[in-house]
Amino acid sequence: MDDRHDGPRLDRRRLLGLAGLTGLAATLPACSRGFGGKGGDDGKIELNMVWWGDAQRAELTQKALDMFQAAHPGIRVRTEYQDSSPYKDKLAARFAAGDPPDLMAMRFDSLREYADRGTLLDLTPHPEMNQSGLTSSARALGTVGDKSFGVPSGLNTIGFIVDKGLTDKFGVAIPDGNTWSWDDFAAFAQQVTKASGGKVYGASIDAWTVANLLVFARQRGEDFFTADGRLGATAATVTAWYQLVADLRKAGGVPPAGFIDQNNGTSPAQSYLAKKSIASQIIPTNNLLGYNQACGGNLQLLRVPGETQGPRRGQSIDTPALWSIAASSRHPAEAVTLLNFLINDTEAAKVAGVTRGVPASRTVAETITSGLEPDNKRSSEFLAALQKEKLPESYPYPVGASKLTNILKTLTTEVEFGRMSPADAGKQFIAEAQKAIAP
Amino acid sequence: MTAPARALAAAPRRRRRQDRAGYLFLLPWFGGLLFMIVPFFASLYLAFTEYDLLTPPRWAGLDNFREMLGDALLHQSLKVTFIYTLVSVPLSLAVALGVAIVLDRGVRGLAVYRSVYYLPSLLGGSVAIVMLWRYLFGYDGIVNDALAWFGITGPAWTTDPDYALSTLILLHVWTFGAPMVIFLAGLRQIPAMYYEASAMDGASKWRQFRSITLPLLSPIIFFNLVQSLIASFQTFTQGYVLSNGSGGPADSTLFYNLYLYQKGFAEFDMGYASSMAWLLLMIIAGFTAINFLTARFWVFYDN
Repeated sequence: MDDRHDGPRLDRRRLLGLAGLTGLAATLPACSRGFGGKGGDDGKIELNMVWWGDAQRAELTQKALDMFQAAHPGIRVRTEYQDSSPYKDKLAARFAAGDPPDLMAMRFDSLREYADRGTLLDLTPHPEMNQSGLTSSARALGTVGDKSFGVPSGLNTIGFIVDKGLTDKFGVAIPDGNTWSWDDFAAFAQQVTKASGGKVYGASIDAWTVANLLVFARQRGEDFFTADGRLGATAATVTAWYQLVADLRKAGGVPPAGFIDQNNGTSPAQSYLAKKSIASQIIPTNNLLGYNQACGGNLQLLRVPGETQGPRRGQSIDTPALWSIAASSRHPAEAVTLLNFLINDTEAAKVAGVTRGVPASRTVAETITSGLEPDNKRSSEFLAALQKEKLPESYPYPVGASKLTNILKTLTTEVEFGRMSPADAGKQFIAEAQKAIAP
Repeated sequence: MTAPARALAAAPRRRRRQDRAGYLFLLPWFGGLLFMIVPFFASLYLAFTEYDLLTPPRWAGLDNFREMLGDALLHQSLKVTFIYTLVSVPLSLAVALGVAIVLDRGVRGLAVYRSVYYLPSLLGGSVAIVMLWRYLFGYDGIVNDALAWFGITGPAWTTDPDYALSTLILLHVWTFGAPMVIFLAGLRQIPAMYYEASAMDGASKWRQFRSITLPLLSPIIFFNLVQSLIASFQTFTQGYVLSNGSGGPADSTLFYNLYLYQKGFAEFDMGYASSMAWLLLMIIAGFTAINFLTARFWVFYDN
């Protein structure tokens, strides 16, 4: 027989080998390290600084860093950034690999995951890090016990944005954002849906966002997380939250089940508001500029409903991200110098703007506010007005709190599709959340 | 030396040369293996520890495996992965075989068709395609728009927990190109004389398919089955991208590997994640073993 045509027949042994090899190769765990590269050879000290964000934030950050490097010729800053969700995983991997960055953006809900395990530098014994410009509640955001493990890279809060272009078109009046109740909000949302003939829904409430539920719980007199790191919310509150959304869905104020994709991402351009399929939603206030650009420039910024009706206030001053320094950084002094520069240097703050929220230092914030573009100025003044009022404090989330988002997401879907009652979902949330953050 | 004798003497030399070429081609794989050996044994060790990534691992014996028994999310992820595998693997293999048979009939422009059908399997696991899938099957996506023309109100394909997994199964079936190309090659190896002889005896097309094509193709089917099963158990990207890493809606796309990833990198429980990896290895090894054991009853080798 002609050898060539006979070719590589698949016989039993070859197959066994092939399948075995592919199987083995496929099931072996993959391994990847963080970025390589250590220092330069020009005698400069190199700091590695990582954070999350987009290209625009990168540009602003780089401008501030250029100023820092000009002022400190002995230090070079090597910076890396990426989108928020891969950032979180990568940061953990870098710590695991023994190669943590010197200075890093830290998620507010992850601070204690790192701090409680001794991986972050305590800033209290470093007076070069001047935190005197920060209010006590701003400082509390990065404080665990009597130690300071992070400085807010900026301050923000949440707010309700309403597309006035749409409400004007449909002839619906926007309620007074400082005093509106949840009932006012529900009535408003239903009016919009009705007036638009069902083309635009009045609102979307991201019921699965922990920060939103947290404000709702406070308004009912409960600390969602207590100062000593426990779960303070009750099943009744979570049930009421789900009930509020379920009722509003039934009444048509928010879109039907399945309309809103929880995992649509956080890009303003791809939001349902920008697509004009809803007229209002809750956002972190530092994103006002981005949303207003994406939505046609006619957004109103309102407070969260229910601030004046409950036993106490719900809104608080929070941070989009903290800056933290690794405990194992080989150049802690230089890292502190850089951090202090980012927080307290007015010129740097002017170029960096409010991409990470209103500067944590009040002196810096007051200096730069007048020079901001209108939307950023508006969100800064919104925050400044709140800062003057007596608000509950935000504490770092307890260890395990980052699991709550997924739990809340799952139960939100269950309620949304009527597979679970708000009462059952409330009970289950508390049970699972307690398990997740148990020490 | 006579010519045939010379050929005989040359054969081993040629074989040795071929072997050498073979190992040369395998070299990159052996290189890669070096980078796998260490993590391989590290993960075996970590499977028996409590390890939060940030502090050194602590020996925990069988605690991780004990915890698995009561972990409802782990059970959910096993359920999702098994449903996905048991539905999508046979479906995609059947489609691949069907299309391969049609193409083998001698279609004009075969190369073009082959490439067109093969393309999705190169792209199917990629982030861009899953994103595209999300738009196609969104609540007001193109698919539902098309259905609306026929007066059908489509479901929320990707956000309704009753439909999300089916949408991903559809995506998997769409990537039938890789097994199809292998099937095509296999079909080409079946000598035409069998078909000619059976046609002369009056066998129907169906009879030819059952008595000639299937048995002679069975080694290829077997290979594709083993490959697809292993790949399917390891599905990650589709679930991750569709749900932005959450496994939602309502854990309906929480693939085993996605949950493993969440445990390891989002929840700082790398010890548990490692033990999950080893459980998966055992599950896959088990299925592959069953495949090999039953193979003797249905796989026919022509030599």
